[in-house]
Amino acid sequence: MNELLRIENLHASIGGKEILKGVNLVINEGEVHAIMGPNGAGKSTLSAVLTGNPAYEVTAGEVYLRGENLLTMEPEVRARAGVFLSFQYPVEIPGVSMTNFMRTALNAKRAYEGKEPLSAKEFLGLMREKKKMLELPDKLNNRSVNEGFSGGEKKKNEIFQMAMLEPCLAILDETDSGLDIDALRIVAEGVNRLKTPQNASIVITHYQRLLDYIVPDFVHVLADGKIVKTGDKTLALELEEKGYEGLQG
Amino acid sequence: MKVSKGDIFERVFVNEPVVDLQIAQEAGSRVKIVVVNFAPGTNRITIEQLGEGCETEIYALAYLKGEDAVTTETHVKHAVGGGTSNQLIKFVLDDHSRGRFIGDLKIVKDAQQTEAHQTNRNLLLSEEAEMRTQPQLEIYADDVKATHGASTGQLDESALFYMQQRGIDKQKARQLLVNAFMKDVLNTISDEALREQLLNTIDGVVE
Repeated sequence: MNELLRIENLHASIGGKEILKGVNLVINEGEVHAIMGPNGAGKSTLSAVLTGNPAYEVTAGEVYLRGENLLTMEPEVRARAGVFLSFQYPVEIPGVSMTNFMRTALNAKRAYEGKEPLSAKEFLGLMREKKKMLELPDKLNNRSVNEGFSGGEKKKNEIFQMAMLEPCLAILDETDSGLDIDALRIVAEGVNRLKTPQNASIVITHYQRLLDYIVPDFVHVLADGKIVKTGDKTLALELEEKGYEGLQG
Repeated sequence: MKVSKGDIFERVFVNEPVVDLQIAQEAGSRVKIVVVNFAPGTNRITIEQLGEGCETEIYALAYLKGEDAVTTETHVKHAVGGGTSNQLIKFVLDDHSRGRFIGDLKIVKDAQQTEAHQTNRNLLLSEEAEMRTQPQLEIYADDVKATHGASTGQLDESALFYMQQRGIDKQKARQLLVNAFMKDVLNTISDEALREQLLNTIDGVVE
């Protein structure tokens, strides 16, 4: 199995406060890893650091994507190399249409891969195809990015973008939060359909619920900035039953 | 100048200072002024509604760099009721540029049922750029709908990061955000060819 991501002794802080205190994790192609843990454990910090959010500072450790040093890459280069974050709180961008945004993003990735940009016709065809999968309305094209979208639409829109960009590593940060059961099913089905033997995903969640739909190969418990326990999907059920308290340290 | 009863007057000024435009509107007339500045200048626009049911629109956009400075001054007076006025004034200020907006809006005592809106939004792209906003509202009638808003801010860092996370480089992301900020003023231009030309121009202007 080919290694996709390797995190070694990762330490990170925000505003001088250390949040990640030595995270180690290896993800191979084809795997789904769930990261669970109490609030404040560092789950969202991990996704922010992996994607290069400038608000966070890496103070120690290494991260490799297919053997390449991820931490020295600009955020946009990480994205083009295939790291995708489904944001916990997708950002509204008034005045920038979904079409313009998505075409700019997709063509930037294609240029990075040495491919020609898509024609307008090819691009719109692709948009239509992927939107259908997420049951998103057609009118979305002309709307500004996430502006006025409901909570469920925003999360579907994240997975739609993921479908367009076909990342090798998708990080789903609390994708289930704020979703009703129908939206959750659609989002999860979308994620499952995008799974291939070559890509992998990290599913960050506080609750077991999402993992009924997206079945992980591994479940890790992140507590106080470290992975304190790793197991298979039964660990998630155990956590649901017993809570996080007994697992720390 | 005078805009006669029921007439429509529309004028777009691009990089052309509006030296001292004075317009008197008769009943039912409509006036729309759009001012676009990519270079230094001073604009002064005075519009008075002298008849019932007039419509006044003033839209202004300035995008400045270097040491450039633009002052835009609007004086809108509702001397008779039943009219509307709408103003949207935007500045995008980079480097050491300076913007100034003086917005004087007056609704006299008898100008009931007036609806007047004045909005000033400014985007600072550099720490050295400076914006001064001086709204002056004098509203003497009691049965009117009048709003006023002014804000000055910077590019939304979370939006920049969101775009970068999708593979868009930072400079292009800035460009998309700045263009989005400027677009709504340009979209008020009725002349489609000119509007498209200006929308294309801003793609090249923003760095």
